[in-house]
Formats: sequence, structure tokens, C-alpha cells
Amino acid sequence: MLDAERLEILTESAKYDVSCSSSGSNRVNKNRGLGNGSVGGICHSFTPDGRCISLLKILMSNECVFDCEYCPNRRSADVPRARLTPDEICELVINFYKRNYIEGLFLSSAVFETPDKTMELLCETVIKLRNIYHFNGYIHLKGIPHADSALIFKAARMVDRMSYNIELPSETSLKLLAPQKTKTSLLLPMKSLRDAITYEKENKIRGNKILPAGQTTQMIIGASPESDGQILKLTEALYRNMGLRRVYYSSYIPVVQSSKLPAVGAGLLREHRLYQADWLIRYYGFDVNEIVGENENLSPEYDPKCAWALRNMHLFPIEINTAPLSVLLRVPGIGAKSAYKIVEARRFAKLDFENLAKMRIVLKRAKHFITCKGKFFGSESLAQVKTSLLLAGSAEITEQISMFSENSVAISALTGEM
Amino acid sequence: MKIFICDGTPDCFFTAVFYSFNEDCIITSDNEIQLSLDSEVIHIKSDAEKSERVKQGILRYDSEATDDILLVLRSCDPLREQKALEYIRRLLQAKSPIKKAYNLREVIDFNDIIYKINGETHRLKGLLRFMEISGGALYAPYSPDNDITELLMPHFAARFKAERFVIHDVKRKKAGMYNGYEWIIGYAGEAEICLSEYERAFETLWKKYYKTVNIKERPHEKQMKRSMPVRYWKYLPEKNDLE
Repeated sequence: MLDAERLEILTESAKYDVSCSSSGSNRVNKNRGLGNGSVGGICHSFTPDGRCISLLKILMSNECVFDCEYCPNRRSADVPRARLTPDEICELVINFYKRNYIEGLFLSSAVFETPDKTMELLCETVIKLRNIYHFNGYIHLKGIPHADSALIFKAARMVDRMSYNIELPSETSLKLLAPQKTKTSLLLPMKSLRDAITYEKENKIRGNKILPAGQTTQMIIGASPESDGQILKLTEALYRNMGLRRVYYSSYIPVVQSSKLPAVGAGLLREHRLYQADWLIRYYGFDVNEIVGENENLSPEYDPKCAWALRNMHLFPIEINTAPLSVLLRVPGIGAKSAYKIVEARRFAKLDFENLAKMRIVLKRAKHFITCKGKFFGSESLAQVKTSLLLAGSAEITEQISMFSENSVAISALTGEM
Repeated sequence: MKIFICDGTPDCFFTAVFYSFNEDCIITSDNEIQLSLDSEVIHIKSDAEKSERVKQGILRYDSEATDDILLVLRSCDPLREQKALEYIRRLLQAKSPIKKAYNLREVIDFNDIIYKINGETHRLKGLLRFMEISGGALYAPYSPDNDITELLMPHFAARFKAERFVIHDVKRKKAGMYNGYEWIIGYAGEAEICLSEYERAFETLWKKYYKTVNIKERPHEKQMKRSMPVRYWKYLPEKNDLE
């Protein structure tokens, strides 16, 4: 059985990876094995930093031949090293899963010896888990750049989701900070996996599907000079062209002293705003160009939807009882759930302000942009609207910042993939 | 005002609904209800035929409402029967499904209960903790707010297909038991269990993992407690780490 020391080293190295989601896979339990997928994802615990534990997030090894500038496990760093065997990992997953501690495995690794050797052992682990330990739970596997594509496809057949981290928002920055990883080594496997997924979908191939929960990626924000506009353009392209399910952002915090890296971190507020914009693109029908210009950054004061509405006051107010769903979704303060609720409820009766309040639709922001049965309850002056939106937003921002207030945070950089 | 007291079973509730038409009344299964001076207490006995007639009446207007009502009756809300009754009355008035008529108070109240029950069920799919007992079966004690053991059993039976397990609602003294093929619900008082040889070792590894994966320089306890309320901690090994 695996010892606590190695578990600690390899968890410590994996914990900064942002993604922990276990959603998107409806894998069924077959051959009376252990586990299945849950499409919505399930959180199994929450740590005192407020993050959820869904998957057992662990590295197979932190012995790395790469020397990425920002990474605490880079070759030149002096840190304790450890490695696990495929069977040790399998045994741990099975026993944690049976006790309902976890929803599955998130397996990643530093690149030890060669990329192929690393990928081979990762591959062996997931094949063993599926075929020998009969595990049908969720597996998210990190792709190793430069590894042989046959190995990648063999692994992709076994797992629910794979991710190649693009690490930095531009090729120039990647060259500077992660010289052994090239744009091609990250995007090529992503593309070929996308093609395989599309092929299966178009030909309606059944049975053992490749990556039922698709692909995701992650990039570090603020370690390099790209603007939010550039980052979101890239994000949009990744969703459109690569068919990714999620793009994760992790705000850079200086953990490694280097002349190539900024001395100060990016802060969680920027990360938060990027996620808000990301949501607007995926679920609210916004185009990147509407949210932010190519070389601009998102506003720290207003969330991106508020900022957009303030630039487009001529479109408001809209009547809650007649506006189409796509317009309701653009009202600041009205989320997707609320918008759907309104559309359902107004089929039964015309809604007034009180109805909305009873439906628990938050009107702090929305009241300036809507009318109910023709009545307007917001403020007529733009200056007052702005003040009111700032007040509504500041509570939420304070919470974001307070997560980030302690000085010692510098040690715990979000370092991306190992 | 008439107060119909039921025994807590769905059949008894539907029987009470049968008697309650055109009456200004309260339906409850709470024996300690505060009585006002003019109240007339009536104890209801289940009547399968009357219960069935009410269900048929509901079915006529909404094929899903009965399932929703059965769900609401699992709630820990002391007014659950009353809220279900008011929902039924609205439904019979409207003569068509009202589940999404969020302009009605009765519908909002009813949906709130469903939201809470589904929420707790989902939460416990994650927070339930099994222990391996000697012989290899799994045992999970818990005490949920709502009566949800029957709702959890299908989830875990599909997942732990070849395992044998018990989910024990300690507060309600009932347990769901799965033998590797099918599950049943039964009475279960106190359980005496003998842990398997490896149980403590894996529990220790889990606690180690929980401690390590946390980014301690970035505390956000409020968020943790919001997602994982303290009342559920009693049965979580990672929250009972005495080291």
C-alpha cells in the first residue's frame, strides 16, 4: 500500500491545477464493476480554502525533465521527488471510491525520462483501472506534450476527459517561459482528439466512446503581458475550433524568482472577471467583441455584463413580460436560471415587480434595466445607475479580494500543469 | 377549524385530502400541533380506496404532480402536508399543470420544498461516507434533514453494483440495504460494526489527502461551510481529524 509521504508530495504538486470537475460523462457501470459517471458531476468534500474535492488529483511523478520557468517541479528546483506505480494508483482510487470519498481520478504527471515513457505509464494505469480493477468511475487524464499519438489515443479510449494545458495565452510567452513545450506539441494532440470525437459523433458510433466528457485546457493569467481581449479571443477560438468543454484560467502568483517573470501576482479579481466573460460567451450569447476590445482589459469595477449594458443604455429598459429569452439573458443581474423562470412564469400571468421578488430574482442591478407591466422602478440618471451598480458589485468583489489578502499567498502559486 | 391528523404515510395523507374538500382545514402529521379553541381534531385512518380516488383526480390534470407530492411528503418541514394540500387545491382549480406558475405563492412554497429535498439528496450523494466492515460490506451512517434514504439507494446501487452496502439513517432508525442485486428498506436501531483490517489505513490516507490538497494560504471557510454545512460533518472522517 502507498505511504502517506509520497501521497503528500504528489498531492502537493497537483493541487494547483484548477479543474476538478467530474461532469459531462454518463459512463455506465458494466460487467458488475465499480462506479459510473454522473452527468452533472458530484462534489465529495470541500477544503477550508472553499474549493471542492471531486476527483483524487494526483501526479504519478514529480520528477521532471522540463524546466518551465513558473513551475515548482521544474528540473532545476530543489524539492522532494516521488513516484507511484500504476498498481499503487489503482488501489488508492478503488479504495477511496468505494468509501465515497471521490468521484474519480484526475491523473497527471511531470515528464520523467521521456514523454513517451511517461505517457506509457499513464496509459498503463488507466487501462489497468478499467480492465483489471473494473473501474467505471470518472477519469480525467492530463496529456503529455510530445508523446506518441498512438499512446494518446490508446489512453483516450479509456478515460472520460483529457486536457492539454496551453499554459500561456500566446506563442511568444510560451517560448519564453516554457521553452520545451511548443505550440504544436499542445495543439496538435488537441486537434487530433477533436477530430476523433467529431468523427464518432457524425457517424453515430456507439459503445466505448472516446472522451465522453471532451477536452479542457488551462492557462496562466498575468505571468505574461497579454490583454484580457487577447485572452478572450483565444478562448473563443478554443471553444469554436477545438470544441473544448471548458477553458480554465489561473491567476499567476510569483512562486519562483526569475527575471522572466513579473514580481507581483495577477490577483483573483482579474481571474474572476475572465470567468464571468467566459460564461457570457458560452451561455449568454455574447460575442467577445461586444465584451471587450482586442487590446483592452475587462473593467475591475463592473462585471462584464454590467459594463456592456452601461455602454448600451439605449437598448434599455426592456419589458419583462414581452422580451425574448435572448434579451432577458442580457439584463445585468438576471442569470440564466432567472431568465428561464421568467419565461415559464409569464405564460401563466403578467408579472409585476412583486412577483419577481417572490421568485427570488435579484433586482438590485436588474431594476435599472427593466419594466414590469410598463412600470419602471430604476433610476433615471445614468450617474445614479452607475453608483448603484458599483455598490451591488462591491460586496461580491470584497469577498473575492479577501480570499487573496494574505501575504503568504505567494508560496502557493497556481502553477498550471506539471 | 378542522384539524386532520395523519400517521405520516402518503396513503393517509391522500385520505385526509379526500375529507378536506370544501373544508377550511389543516392537515398535519405533527401530534404536538398547537390547537386553537375552536379546533376540531380528527384522526385520519388510511383508506386505500379514497386515497386512490384523490390520486386519480390529480392525475387527470398533471401526470407528474403525484410524484412531486410524494417527494414533498419526505420533507422535514412541519407544514409539508399543508403545503401539499394547498398545491393540490390550486391544481384542481387550474385544471392543468401549475408547476411553473411561479406567480402563485402556493407553487413557490411547494417548489421550495422540492428544491431543498433534491438539494440534500444531491449533496449527500457526495458527502455520504462508507466504512468497510469485516467481511467486505460497506456501511454508511448519516442523519439527513429529510427522509431521503429511498432516494439515495438507486444511485449507490447503480454505482456499487457488485458490493454489499447499508445506508443507515440513524435519526429515523431506518436503513437501506443492498445485497449486490437488489435493495430493500428496513428498520434499523443501533448498529454494532466491526471494521475491516484496512479501514483505518485508508481513512488516514484520505485525511492526509484532504489536508494536503487544501491551499492553506488562501482560507475561505465561509465558502466551505456554505457548500458543506457543519451539521453534516459528524460523519465525515476528514472533518474529525484529531491529529
